[in-house]
Amino acid sequence: MKRRHVARSAEREASRENSFRAHMTSVDRRTFLKGVAAVSAVAAGSAVANDATAQARADVVSRQERPPVWKKAPCRLCGVGCGLLVGIQGGRAVAVQGDPKSTVGDGLACAKGYYSVQALYARDRLKRAMIRRDNRLVEVPIGEALDLVAQRLRETTAKYGKDSVALYGSAQWTIPDAYVASKLFKGALGTNNVESSTRLASASAMAGLEGSFGLDGTIGCYEDIEHADIIVLWDINIAETDPVLFSRMLARRKKNPAVRIVEIATRTTRTSYAADHSVLHTPRSTQAIANAICQEIVARKWVDQDFVDRHVAFRRGRPDIGYGITSDALVADDATTATWDEYVSFLGGSTPERVQALSGAPAASIRWLASLYGDRSRKVMSVWGANVNQHARGTYTNNALYNIHLLVGKIASPGNSPFAITGQPGGGNALHDAGSLTHTLPRGVVRQERDRQRAADIWGVPVGQIDSKPTHAALSMFRALDRGDVRFLWIQATNPMVSLPNVDRYRRAAGKEGRFIVVSELYPTATTAVADVVLPSAMWFEREGIDANVERRLQHFDLMVAPPGDAMSDAWQMIEVARRLGFGKMFPAERRGHVEQLWNEYRKFHEPPSTLPALSHLREGTGAMWPVVDGHETKWRYNTALDPKADRARGRYDFYGHADGRAWIWLRPNEPPAESTDADFPFWLNTGAVLEQSGTGSITQRIPTLHRAVPRAYVEINGDDATRLRIRDRDLVRLTSRRGAIELEARIEYRSQPQRGTLFVPSFDESLPVSRLMLDAFCPISGQPDLTTCAVRVERVASAAGG
Amino acid sequence: MWLLLGASAVVAVVAFVVAGSRLAARRAAAPREITVSLVAFPDQPIVGEAQVFRTRTEMLSIGDPSGPRRAAHPRTLATYRVLRAYPGAPPRIPHGLTPGEFREGACKACHERGGFSVRFNAYVPVTPHPEMGACLQCHVGDAKLMAIPLPSTDPNSRCRQCHTAGGSRASDSTLDWKTMPWPSLMPVSVGRTPPPIPHDAPMRTNCLACHAGPSGVVEIRTSHPERADCRQCHLQASALPEPDASVARGAVIEFGGAP
Repeated sequence: MKRRHVARSAEREASRENSFRAHMTSVDRRTFLKGVAAVSAVAAGSAVANDATAQARADVVSRQERPPVWKKAPCRLCGVGCGLLVGIQGGRAVAVQGDPKSTVGDGLACAKGYYSVQALYARDRLKRAMIRRDNRLVEVPIGEALDLVAQRLRETTAKYGKDSVALYGSAQWTIPDAYVASKLFKGALGTNNVESSTRLASASAMAGLEGSFGLDGTIGCYEDIEHADIIVLWDINIAETDPVLFSRMLARRKKNPAVRIVEIATRTTRTSYAADHSVLHTPRSTQAIANAICQEIVARKWVDQDFVDRHVAFRRGRPDIGYGITSDALVADDATTATWDEYVSFLGGSTPERVQALSGAPAASIRWLASLYGDRSRKVMSVWGANVNQHARGTYTNNALYNIHLLVGKIASPGNSPFAITGQPGGGNALHDAGSLTHTLPRGVVRQERDRQRAADIWGVPVGQIDSKPTHAALSMFRALDRGDVRFLWIQATNPMVSLPNVDRYRRAAGKEGRFIVVSELYPTATTAVADVVLPSAMWFEREGIDANVERRLQHFDLMVAPPGDAMSDAWQMIEVARRLGFGKMFPAERRGHVEQLWNEYRKFHEPPSTLPALSHLREGTGAMWPVVDGHETKWRYNTALDPKADRARGRYDFYGHADGRAWIWLRPNEPPAESTDADFPFWLNTGAVLEQSGTGSITQRIPTLHRAVPRAYVEINGDDATRLRIRDRDLVRLTSRRGAIELEARIEYRSQPQRGTLFVPSFDESLPVSRLMLDAFCPISGQPDLTTCAVRVERVASAAGG
Repeated sequence: MWLLLGASAVVAVVAFVVAGSRLAARRAAAPREITVSLVAFPDQPIVGEAQVFRTRTEMLSIGDPSGPRRAAHPRTLATYRVLRAYPGAPPRIPHGLTPGEFREGACKACHERGGFSVRFNAYVPVTPHPEMGACLQCHVGDAKLMAIPLPSTDPNSRCRQCHTAGGSRASDSTLDWKTMPWPSLMPVSVGRTPPPIPHDAPMRTNCLACHAGPSGVVEIRTSHPERADCRQCHLQASALPEPDASVARGAVIEFGGAP
């Protein structure tokens, strides 16, 4: 009953929001014109041939017998960060193989990795800068475009103040890109208007770790897979989202047949077929299941009491945090101390029976799952991803999952590992740490005087220059653009005009008069379509870079081939603009060696004993898992035998992220999602990834083999629902939510099987943006948008037979 | 008696194959356009045919490349290359799968042992790495065969007028792709010394998968598969070069456009 009540209040919040937006539609005309101009600009480059035989035409670089030079580069198409070897011949990337030395993939990649280098050679790569003139994007020398960017930055700050300019970067950024962004905007321009799509990829994972352990960054590493006896997959179709980790899990089970892979899921996927056991539940009830498992563990006395007494404290957060629909501000968690008894009584509301009613997961299954976690003889790894994180209660759910491991003391040792996977190369904390979000500074947060002082000292600016107040988290930044608080927005290496929820609202915002949008990109996208200036970017190993994957592994790649035309790295574009604004002295003067120079400057933020390795160290090997202490990487944090930063005086574990040295169990109540199904919108729509595509498809859809594998988005419908609605395989159906509608092909009994009452649409297709349907709510603690689930209705538009 | 006849037949076939492959090897040096007809979407699950793939010995027999069964879908260097983006790339899947087969990864029912498939009218290629579990991690199919065909009348074309500008959809002609030369078919060897292995072989250490059996690639099939331990005589021509730190560390490559 309470559940429905709160859901309704979220709806009311949403409907107020909608009526507010009705006043904003007068700007559509400009959006429309911008779009048309861009369509004609790229029409010349598009081709319709889709001929499976044409690959044979691919010529070879040269007939010379000299073999290619193989150089290492981490794959950048998901957060796993597989080590690849790229074959370079005649100045071009010609082939790929898994790097046999890499501990990530052990010589294996996935289809995306094997085809990744072809993305460099799409014929519609942006090679020249473009400026919008008379509503058309026209090519100009890149110097002219950079002049204009600098000029508009200067004019906008002069007229509207420093917080009227903003930068929205990317989880595809390298660490030097993020560092330069932070330094230019926070240090030189003095605004905290820096955000990036890492907020969309990983903010709840970050907030969950910070809440439970006081520090961002995963506790364990991929090697946990080879130690675990039980691997529990929480709402993650890992066979498609992170295929290389999936194959490591299969190899682990093959080697030790006692190993079990268990899945908690909302649909039956390729992962389910490989799993030993699959527990189905309704979307957005994950946290309730986690709480029920904790309840059962406590009730059965499976708690590791010694671990809890020594290493755990209990905290309660602020109630009624909302859904980020009417409020743009993030909510401070305001932890208050709780006791063991309070926690036990809190769990009383989450008995397996009650949670069965809430989640549809059988109480017996919940008890069985609890028994796996509670079994002292087995090591358990829990893995989750975007379905947990991209949720208005993402932080809560992360905390609840850590709670399970903390209760039974199965944490921070090989094989005992709660593990949040994020979907982008910048997801694994490194970019947050370089200052790529509004509240962060390199190795710190803007609110902390000490962190601001350190940044000011290293950057050579007065400390008063760095603002102590965070501004807008990702979605809020686009709402500020909508209101006009932000007038100048520079978007780099990401496609928010497809990836944001309720995307039409933000497309209108970007098209409003008096907004100036700069986009740094590789190809024409829906986002370059709304740009006033387009800057061509260098990708991957067309520039030198460092990133870090989900297991905290820093990996370096060299400049291997020249970028096309005038393309340059995002970092260097910003440095060019900084020079034009008179901040040239703050940045490297020459491109040769500038990445190492930036890296060495960034290293100064890291205080001994926790240091960043020298670039030469990263160049030689296959990366290093930070923190790196005296040259030794850290595989498992907080374990005093394995983590050099942990204090042995505290016993086996030292959760040094918190001043009390303890990990925190949070009392996170089961709350309804931002939107639930009802009579008008009776279906849960789930979105997610397919193996062959990445992000909004701007890279992978340009690789013919990957494009042909899944050329369009589709909607999967449960067979019973389809029969009831008279929908047959490949019929055209319309999905409608409170925000909008899309029409796409229905698939029944296809790649996955949704449960009754649920649908699945892959989110990669720029031409069928499912984000249009999603509610633009976000987790008020982390700021991560609620991107994976909303309520829709489905109706048949035309049958496959044409009737 | 039958045994004797059989043995002499095998010898004749071996001679034929060796001669044929030498010829083919010379021809294959010139690049040319290749058309491969892809096999249609199956009506019945492939796993239903699993029973025919039970004889391990058949994989090693050479068979007659000009026989009626091979004519429909011969596996040649041309078809071998058309499925691979570059030497060493995981091949694409050139046939349809039912959704069940697709989800469960039923590939090894046929591709672990090989044999003749009536439905595909071809000998089934054998995987060189049957120990790997998640085939679809690296091998991708084609929407025409097992995913979604592009609708003839596009219901979303009106939306796309305004809402996507990215629209250039990938096909081979939208890609300016060049790869490295394919391994030489005429590796240098002195006199009667066994020729060296002209390619490196991560994931392909089982030579027989491609070089032997009725589904072996015609031009590169061995005349003596029964010897099995190939690397006893054939050595790696060039081991995988170490990543070369001296090349392309910024010293020899031009940066992008100078502002």
